[in-house]
Amino acid sequence: MVNAKIFSKNHDKQRGLPTILSGLIAGILLFIPVMAQAEDTGTPLHGFADVGFSAQTSESPENKGFNIGSVDFYLTPQFGDNVKSLIELIFETLDDGTLSTDLERLQIGYTFSDAATVWAGRFHTPFGYWNTAFHHGSQLQTSILRPRFLDFEDKGGILPDHMVGMLASGRIKAGGGRFTYDAFAGNGPEVDPGGVLTINTAGDNDHQAMVGFNMGYDFAGMADGLRLAISALQGDVDGPAGTTPPMNTTELNMANISIIYITNEWEVMGEYYSFSNKAILTGGSPASGTYNSWADYLQIGRNFNGITPYLRAEKTQLDQADQYFSNQANGQSYNRQVLGIRYDVNQKACLKFELLNSKFEADATHGDPLGNPGGGSSYRSFRAQYAIRF
Amino acid sequence: MKSTFFRYIATVLLALLLPQLAHAADVVVISHPGTSITAGDVSDIFLGEKQFAGGTKLVPVDNASLQDSFLSKYLDMAKSKYSSAWTKKSFRDGLTPPAMKSGDAEVIDFVKRNPGAVGYVSSAPSGVNVAR
Repeated sequence: MVNAKIFSKNHDKQRGLPTILSGLIAGILLFIPVMAQAEDTGTPLHGFADVGFSAQTSESPENKGFNIGSVDFYLTPQFGDNVKSLIELIFETLDDGTLSTDLERLQIGYTFSDAATVWAGRFHTPFGYWNTAFHHGSQLQTSILRPRFLDFEDKGGILPDHMVGMLASGRIKAGGGRFTYDAFAGNGPEVDPGGVLTINTAGDNDHQAMVGFNMGYDFAGMADGLRLAISALQGDVDGPAGTTPPMNTTELNMANISIIYITNEWEVMGEYYSFSNKAILTGGSPASGTYNSWADYLQIGRNFNGITPYLRAEKTQLDQADQYFSNQANGQSYNRQVLGIRYDVNQKACLKFELLNSKFEADATHGDPLGNPGGGSSYRSFRAQYAIRF
Repeated sequence: MKSTFFRYIATVLLALLLPQLAHAADVVVISHPGTSITAGDVSDIFLGEKQFAGGTKLVPVDNASLQDSFLSKYLDMAKSKYSSAWTKKSFRDGLTPPAMKSGDAEVIDFVKRNPGAVGYVSSAPSGVNVAR
């Protein structure tokens, strides 16, 4: 009963200790039957959790002090040889202290062979590398924060990290390595009045599907650990959400290239995103114009027996004449440098410490990080995180 | 005097070699009698990259008593890396990691009873296929 109540409030943001307790109780109630079931069916419950601390210079809009990050549960029940599913539920604290519950993924799939699995439901949009490799698995990723432009929609991200639709994926052995692909189509997102991308979980508002693909090659032999991939995403994005017909519509055209090299010692990840967005409607009137923008990051880490120092540089140049970015609360250009160290306490727990230097460009649409008009500001911050997986 | 010296040398050599021999314990990969796999498939099967052999769904199982030797010989991987690889695989692709069996007897029993089952043991029993 408690579970049903929590699930029915998907995306609702609730406040206060009773809600946190009900969330935890729901989690425990969810956990107990699954554990009991696990002995019968072999369906284990997995997940991630993290807690942290942060401190910033006064210009920072971010919260200071201790924080709880997220608790993420996922299940991978199989139904015979070909039918499988992936169910992920997350409880996370938002910046304003509210507890958010999300049915993060609900995918039901059919595997035809190693080369083809077709899924339907809500999934992590398979663009680039970071979004599907780590997502809410904070213990999996070396750093504490994701690159800001790849963050979740409600945490500053500028791309639809989640999608409701269909996904085909597979892996094919070729030339000693492995060719991989994902192809997907789903509901296009909207920008809500608060400037946040929403993914239209309940249905598409404009019947304009968002489509995309991700193709890559995992090398073997001498180049084992190297992955080269390209991905693309295209679809109409309306806003503000809830207006019919939409006031603003932009055709999002994103192309990406990823170069990843991960071995026992090294982690090198670089991704470049190019945007060529077309205005279709502005203020309810037909519009025209193509706007080019880009975003990228490069992260390098080296593992010395469980201690991994790392650094990352990330930067965006987002054209503010492009309403796709100017209508998003976090659509301003910025650059950030990250220096951190990760200590693996054991294979399921890690401690991370991170220093960040962030600089936001001035533009007419966005204020500075504290909301002051004019924009253009910088701040430095320190973060610590204790993350586990189970 | 001479034979005592050689006996001493032989004892020292044996003492030095025994741990090496123990470390390089034999690991034989076996599969259900109706499932044929090659030694070249083993790494892909145990990392979730190969899920089917013909039309049969493969079901790999780990053997707690031999896991270190197996990972070293076939996957060139430490246990922590193997665990991490499966977490990523499971999280991204929704696959279930191999179940852990306690020893040879459990693995052999499982492999014989389940079509598509693949495991590893210290010596090949009768009634199963051996990956070559």
